Amino acid sequence: MVESEINIKKIIAEVLAEMGHDVPASSAQGEVAAVDDSPLVDLTTEDLKKQLLVPEPANRDAYLNYKDATVSRIGIWRSGSRYKTSAFLRFRADHAIAQDAVFNDVSSDFLKEWGLFEVKTKCTDKDQFLTRPDLGRELDDENIALLKKNCNERAKVQIYVTDGLSSTAVEKNARDTFLAMEQGLKGHGIEVGAPFFLRYGRVPAMDAIADVLHPEVTVALIGERPGLATAESMSCYMAYNAHGGMPEANRTVLSNIHRGGTPAVEAGAHIADVIKMMLEQKASGLELKK
Amino acid sequence: MRLKTVLSGVMYEFKDLNEVMAKANEEKSGDRLAGLAAATVTEMIAAKEVLAGVTLAEIRNNPAVPYEQDEVTRLDQDRVNEKIYAELKNLTVGEFREWLLCHETSGDDISRASHGLTAEMVAAVAKLMSNLDLIYAARKIKIIAHCNTTIGEEGVLAFRLQPNHTTDDLDGIRISTFEGLSYGSGDALIGLNPVNDTVESLSNILKMFQEIKETYQIPTQNCVLGHVTTQMEAVQKGAPADMIFQSIAGSEKGNTAFGLSASVLAEAHDLMLKEGTATGPNVMYFETGQGAELSSDAHHGVDQVTMEARCYGFARHYNPFLVNTVVGFIGPEYLYDSRQVIRAGLEDLFMGKLSGISMGVDACYTNHMKADQNDIENLAVLLTSAGCNYLITVPQGDDIMLNYQSLGYHEASALRELLGKKPIPAFAAWLEKMGIYENGRLSRIAGDASIFFG
Amino acid sequence: MREQVLSVGIDIGTTTTQLVFSQLTLENTASLVTVPRIEIIDKEVIYRSAIHFTPLRSQNEIDDHSIRSLIEREYQAAGITPQQVQTGAVIITGEAARKQNAEAVLRALSGLAGEFVVATAGPTLEGIIAGKGAGAGVESKKRGATVVNLDVGGGTTNIAVFKNGEVIDTACLDIGGRLIRFNNQGTIDYVADKVASLARALNLNIATGQRYDQTVVDAIVRRMVGILEEVLGLVPATSELAMLLTDHDLRRDYKIDYVSFSGGVADCLFSCGNSDPLQYGDIGKLLGEAITGSKLMQNIQTLTAIETIRATVVGAGSHTTNISGSTITVAPGVLPLQNIPVLKLSTEDEALPLDAWGDAIRKKVQWFNLDGEKQNLALAFKGPENLGFDEVRVLAEAIVQGMEEVLCKTCPLIVVIERDLAKVLGQTLRNRLGFAKDVICIDTIRVANGDYIDIGHELAAGNVVPVIVKTLVFNY
Repeated sequence: MVESEINIKKIIAEVLAEMGHDVPASSAQGEVAAVDDSPLVDLTTEDLKKQLLVPEPANRDAYLNYKDATVSRIGIWRSGSRYKTSAFLRFRADHAIAQDAVFNDVSSDFLKEWGLFEVKTKCTDKDQFLTRPDLGRELDDENIALLKKNCNERAKVQIYVTDGLSSTAVEKNARDTFLAMEQGLKGHGIEVGAPFFLRYGRVPAMDAIADVLHPEVTVALIGERPGLATAESMSCYMAYNAHGGMPEANRTVLSNIHRGGTPAVEAGAHIADVIKMMLEQKASGLELKK
Repeated sequence: MRLKTVLSGVMYEFKDLNEVMAKANEEKSGDRLAGLAAATVTEMIAAKEVLAGVTLAEIRNNPAVPYEQDEVTRLDQDRVNEKIYAELKNLTVGEFREWLLCHETSGDDISRASHGLTAEMVAAVAKLMSNLDLIYAARKIKIIAHCNTTIGEEGVLAFRLQPNHTTDDLDGIRISTFEGLSYGSGDALIGLNPVNDTVESLSNILKMFQEIKETYQIPTQNCVLGHVTTQMEAVQKGAPADMIFQSIAGSEKGNTAFGLSASVLAEAHDLMLKEGTATGPNVMYFETGQGAELSSDAHHGVDQVTMEARCYGFARHYNPFLVNTVVGFIGPEYLYDSRQVIRAGLEDLFMGKLSGISMGVDACYTNHMKADQNDIENLAVLLTSAGCNYLITVPQGDDIMLNYQSLGYHEASALRELLGKKPIPAFAAWLEKMGIYENGRLSRIAGDASIFFG
Repeated sequence: MREQVLSVGIDIGTTTTQLVFSQLTLENTASLVTVPRIEIIDKEVIYRSAIHFTPLRSQNEIDDHSIRSLIEREYQAAGITPQQVQTGAVIITGEAARKQNAEAVLRALSGLAGEFVVATAGPTLEGIIAGKGAGAGVESKKRGATVVNLDVGGGTTNIAVFKNGEVIDTACLDIGGRLIRFNNQGTIDYVADKVASLARALNLNIATGQRYDQTVVDAIVRRMVGILEEVLGLVPATSELAMLLTDHDLRRDYKIDYVSFSGGVADCLFSCGNSDPLQYGDIGKLLGEAITGSKLMQNIQTLTAIETIRATVVGAGSHTTNISGSTITVAPGVLPLQNIPVLKLSTEDEALPLDAWGDAIRKKVQWFNLDGEKQNLALAFKGPENLGFDEVRVLAEAIVQGMEEVLCKTCPLIVVIERDLAKVLGQTLRNRLGFAKDVICIDTIRVANGDYIDIGHELAAGNVVPVIVKTLVFNY
């Protein structure tokens, strides 16, 4: 190795060390590049609110301060008129997570662990579920019979879980919300019917279910259409005396249940109080007085 | 009117013009959901062949929704310039397509012709065009409108800056606005979709936009996209709005579902000319999207491309400054994947321009669709080539409130640089003054929103 | 959806006594389809009293009768009765707080001022309240900057440093406009002890009964301003800074971007030169003039305070009330609760596994020596992120174990959390305690050890409670 080359390697090593990078092992002996065992960083865990990629902002504190008020991808800087590599990869990663949440099915392990039995709408697969909203609202005879067999009719409160547009949301939140809700309702002396899982369910499927089971209050925990900020957001739809053809305005909705919004357990505790109010007023949706 | 044809030895017969129009469409999941789509590609081509032989007069005489039943039809039919229509009425749709595409027909010729067209004619010819045909014809047409600044001039590509926020938090909206401005977006509009559709909330946001516009002397226009009646009340109470916005549909029934009618929009238009903060004369903003009518069961058995064209026929009545289709927003049940979204985006732009309106596109997709950012970047390049007046941008393409993806603020300068476009001239001068642009492109400090905090 | 809350602020200072009424507007800012989020969206001062001299019975005693009737007259003038007032603060500030009967005066007034009104004193809180009233807190957030507010009053200068809207440092000095006073004949009536000490350190002689000597007074005033320059780090600190500090010093480990001035002396900035410097019979105007020409204004960019002499009273009326999170657990009929000492778990405590929290809590409860049936405390912690329901139950169990000493009494169990967790934890605690115990579990409130809190009546249909955090020692 000529002297100048050695010097250059030394300089590069020093610069890298100063930048906090590991100095690559010398390959002078012709070894293959060493495997990098340094700790792995999950790029989806970085808090975007605290990340400012603008190299020399006119006012860093103000930038971060205002960034704190939004989850928008702001202060992400650029290369030419295009994105920095890290921002680009983060966006693609978040989109991949969102698509997985939609296109993956709620796992049977999740249902088994919780002990939920499963019924299904008229959709035969995810693709049909996405393109035929009408079928995601209806049950066939076989599934109606399953419901009748496993649930008591005319429960005070019938809660069920359904995938909607995010299986991830349901897997991450539904059980904690349900347990907190159940505890809250028991505290009010309100009994809850046996919960179940509805696959390929749209919101109005609750009307079809109510037409079979006739509970006083029907409650659906359903995955919301994911955004990039989170794919884990769940909604709770509730209706007093739900039935086929009921007005949409009679549904009470509570959305944004996830760790970055209303935490699952806290939402459950709150929902218990809302349900109590529905039972007292015999109303839901716009007819429910707060 | 000939309603049947033979293709590859098979006879295809259609019961009426609406069926021909629907089946002539390129494949859309929404037409399938509505039960209107051609069963096979061959049937689609057969329908196109039949449509190519229909005259514009036959189309005028068979509107998609009957005149007596629907005010959108009435407005569209009554507006037609009969002299110009008479020049065109004997053309078949196939001939009309060739007339639009041929070198001898200029953009001005097309703009003149547009006064003699009904929405169904516009839709019909779109169905006979390939994607490149749509781009080629749309590119010829120049539509200029003026609110505070002028949109649509040759060589200009404008952007709406959309600083949406999950709770309408003013600080969050402000930083997103500054960020967009620092990338050269916002010359078409600074416009927010509010979460809370209340007079108070709309007024607060409008006041902040006005304050930003005044503080930094920005030559642009603002709008908060609440319901038309909420915006009207806010304006009546003194809120500073340059434009009034409304989502519109292609049928009276669809508009009723949106809580509006032709007379409400006329009232809003008059109000803005009297009480709006803009110079005008173009002070309205509309959004549309294929499939909206079907989702409210207001499509009258008509396909979604034709209903979309009827939106533009309706919109032009109010001389809008901006109209855009929110092309991939509504979901896979209407536009299944990126192929359908790209097709719809090009159709909508072409149909809007042929309808004589200042047309833009929100090139976007939701997360339950089979599409990604690459697809929408493709579409943006195609739309820019087709002479789209403006596109919509949000921070890195991620709209945190509506939970969908559109173009990012960065795309404003990337598309302009790439395809030789400039911002609206007054805004371009402002960008240079602020040091955000230097010699027509992003400067060293561009992309730093904190320059606005001093 | 809106709700108005009437708040009172009363400031009894060394020199002046003032009152304001503020209207706080609460609104649910969340969309209709999410859990409510009730916030204070507007604060408006709707009544400002005249600025009264603080009536004194002697140098060491406040005239409580006169103060009481003075406040009563202001209530009448505003057309407001104590029953209408829902929150607020009576604060006794500066030198006045060191008077013999300060406590008694506060107690008498807090009853008059409304059921849920805080009575408090202490330089740390004073400085923070004045800085917020002056607008320094808001400006620092708006500008993304560090703003220091100097509230220069009659007896003390209270300093609060805000960075991005948060208080990051405080200090208090015995520097004020009325620490030397003169009578009509130009004879010195009063010299505060600390000023006399400062004079001695400067080899100057000043005492009551002497004639006004411009050289001596100017030298003392200039030195006072010099010490203010020291406390902000504009010149090196001397031993005299330590002498005038009432408690702790500023840290001076941050860069100050802006300075603002409030308090009575702030009105004397720029104003001298064309009138009698001893117009008010004290050194206020001289002090103001000296500040104007000092490094305090020459070396740091100055922001004009939105309130000067009224900064403290406006701060007390408008900026002391916080609103809890909107999903909480509140036993009926228990509120309001006042002067509850806070037991805050440390970061190390919170890092323990949840089932080990019980021991950590028990140990700290013992430090409080809770004697008497009514003596209570509030257990406070930040709270773990993203708890599952099973973990909430473990946490509740740990709290029940750790708070045993409190749970044997008749007083309610009070838990204050930073993270959004109070409703489910409250319900779980109630469940665990067999619904036999009053539980107050609130969140979205940040407190520190050494704080005291007051929790007011439920607002907004029981969704939230107003909370006043009384910071007596600054230790964030």
